[in-house]
Amino acid sequence: MASIAVLGQFADIQGRPRKLWTQSLSWVLFLVGVFVYSQFSIVRHKENPEDRVVPSVSQLYQGIKSAVLEPAEEDDALDANASTYQRLTHSMLAKDTLSSAGRFFAAILLLVPAILLGLHMAVFPFAEAFFLRFILFFDKIVALSLLPILFIAFGIGDWAKIMLMVIGVAPTLMLDTYNLAKAVPREQVVKAFTLKSSNLDITYRVVLKQILPQIINSVRLNLKPLALFLFAGEMIVSSDGLAYRIGIMRRHMGMDIIIPYILWVAVLLFGMDSLLRFANRRLHPWF
Amino acid sequence: MHCRIYGNHSRSLRDAAGSRLFISVCRLCRSLPFAALVTLISVGFVLEAPAHAAAPTFTVGWSVYAGWNPYFYMAKSGILKKWADKYGVVIKVQRFDYAASLDAFVGKNIDACTMTNMEALDMPAAAGVDSTAMIVGDYSNGNDAVLARNNLTLAQLPGKRIMLVQKTVSEYLLERAMDVNGLAAQIPQLHLMNTSDSDLVGAFLGNQSNQVAVTWKPLVSQILAQGGNVKPLFDSSKIPGEILDLLVVRTDILQRSDGSGARFAKAITGAWYETMTQLTAQGAASQAAISGSASASGDSVASYKEQLRTTYLFSTPKSAVEFSESPTIKQKMDLVRQFCFRHQLLGQNITSVNDVGIRYPDGSVQGKGDRVRLRIDSSYMKLAEQGKL
Repeated sequence: MASIAVLGQFADIQGRPRKLWTQSLSWVLFLVGVFVYSQFSIVRHKENPEDRVVPSVSQLYQGIKSAVLEPAEEDDALDANASTYQRLTHSMLAKDTLSSAGRFFAAILLLVPAILLGLHMAVFPFAEAFFLRFILFFDKIVALSLLPILFIAFGIGDWAKIMLMVIGVAPTLMLDTYNLAKAVPREQVVKAFTLKSSNLDITYRVVLKQILPQIINSVRLNLKPLALFLFAGEMIVSSDGLAYRIGIMRRHMGMDIIIPYILWVAVLLFGMDSLLRFANRRLHPWF
Repeated sequence: MHCRIYGNHSRSLRDAAGSRLFISVCRLCRSLPFAALVTLISVGFVLEAPAHAAAPTFTVGWSVYAGWNPYFYMAKSGILKKWADKYGVVIKVQRFDYAASLDAFVGKNIDACTMTNMEALDMPAAAGVDSTAMIVGDYSNGNDAVLARNNLTLAQLPGKRIMLVQKTVSEYLLERAMDVNGLAAQIPQLHLMNTSDSDLVGAFLGNQSNQVAVTWKPLVSQILAQGGNVKPLFDSSKIPGEILDLLVVRTDILQRSDGSGARFAKAITGAWYETMTQLTAQGAASQAAISGSASASGDSVASYKEQLRTTYLFSTPKSAVEFSESPTIKQKMDLVRQFCFRHQLLGQNITSVNDVGIRYPDGSVQGKGDRVRLRIDSSYMKLAEQGKL
């Protein structure tokens, strides 16, 4: 009977797993993923030892090593006696990460005015009247289909990709900010006016201040669409970047590079998300 | 503390979230992990599929290209069915995007596939899938071209941005162009811009600052038709026989113990040369074949004929056999395999170009004899030549 009580705990809303349980349970699916992958890889390699579709651990290791320590194929080779630091900073992965990160952060910077526009739309009725309908409509345009126009307007360099990201994500972010700001009770605005606040005081010190943590959360949710648009742009036309490399490797089934790259992108996005979450907690402990 | 209930504004919020989801789904379908997952799942199905004894079925993948469009006509006109019935097999012909067809072939989801000699080397062969080229269909005789604005010359290309689909025959053609003109030393200075073929024409024509592009027909024709000051600098007719278009089949299919693989090879070879005969016949006889092949890619008959002019078809089995048994093909293949090795297309862990061996009809092997991965096999074409199919 005692064992049933223990098992029953797993399906109990009021169950209180101990720290050891929560820690170990949270890793189970990772282990299952690794296990399923390696089984699949082993089966494929039994049939064809040179299989490249599901690379084995040693193939992956080789792939990671060359990506992390060796320069990209289009760059000059390093001296044989280059230090590990030089190897790391001149590697294919470092080059691709830097160029993709540059585009990514440029787009994020350009999203700041978009957020502020959303805020102003919610607070100032004339701004709302002027912008809201257009942005609601513009938001429904599938940004990817604009690519040919973007290439003509912004050339085939970095700007076309940055604008694709901005056009893809900004309307969503604007509307989200708009909704958040609209949800601030009207009474607070009235109250602030009675306390001699100016228009900008109310916009920035009453409304923005209290919705900022939610805006940051919204940015966190939009990291992935940003990455998707970046990837789309880089896959279509580029000469460096993480998605460029994945696209090139795809031409000859270089999954030994592609899989580490995909995991690396996931780690980067996860890191950025954690950073924003952490910053949010420190900046807004009251939230 | 503010209120977190959205109240009146829930509708626009839902719209925003919906569009975000839609965008994500759109991208997911095009993203690589998704493609990889589909490959994995479909590979899984193939492993599970039981081998039926009755009426063995074979699937041939093809993609749009002047030299491969006849496969579409061949299936539609009933020529293929006639030959398949003769040899007691069922042959399905399926259209793919080029890259997807190669993925499917390497993943063993299809049994035979059309591809160039370069991809035959760097996709299936380099991935350890022993492959046999059983029909040497044609070579590009001007279908691929280096295009430039403003009367640029090849010597002026270094430093200019060059738009092309990297690691394909386009890059091969560009390097050969430099090489043939004594500019091999300049190749590392070329600034390549990897550009998807679906957006290349628009992006190149849309901006005058894009001065050089390397691509294939019909994109070449589209660019030349619209770009006033664009001229071809070099094309594949200057390197005849190097960009070959093949029908490649997995070697283990040909060697099936019940002989069904060999019957499949005979059936499709027979059907192919019957189609070729129709296509190259004089006058009205060829009309159906040409318009049928043109419709495979949605081209007009005139445009398809224009593409055929720059495609050297080995229209008779005799010419195909002669070419595949000649010493020339070995020289051409050597250029291609050296290119693949230089660009690491044979894989990260391949340390020598000889690790991917090529076997020729006379039994000679380029590379290591114990690592033969690609076989040029003229035997089925020869049967066609001798009328024994």
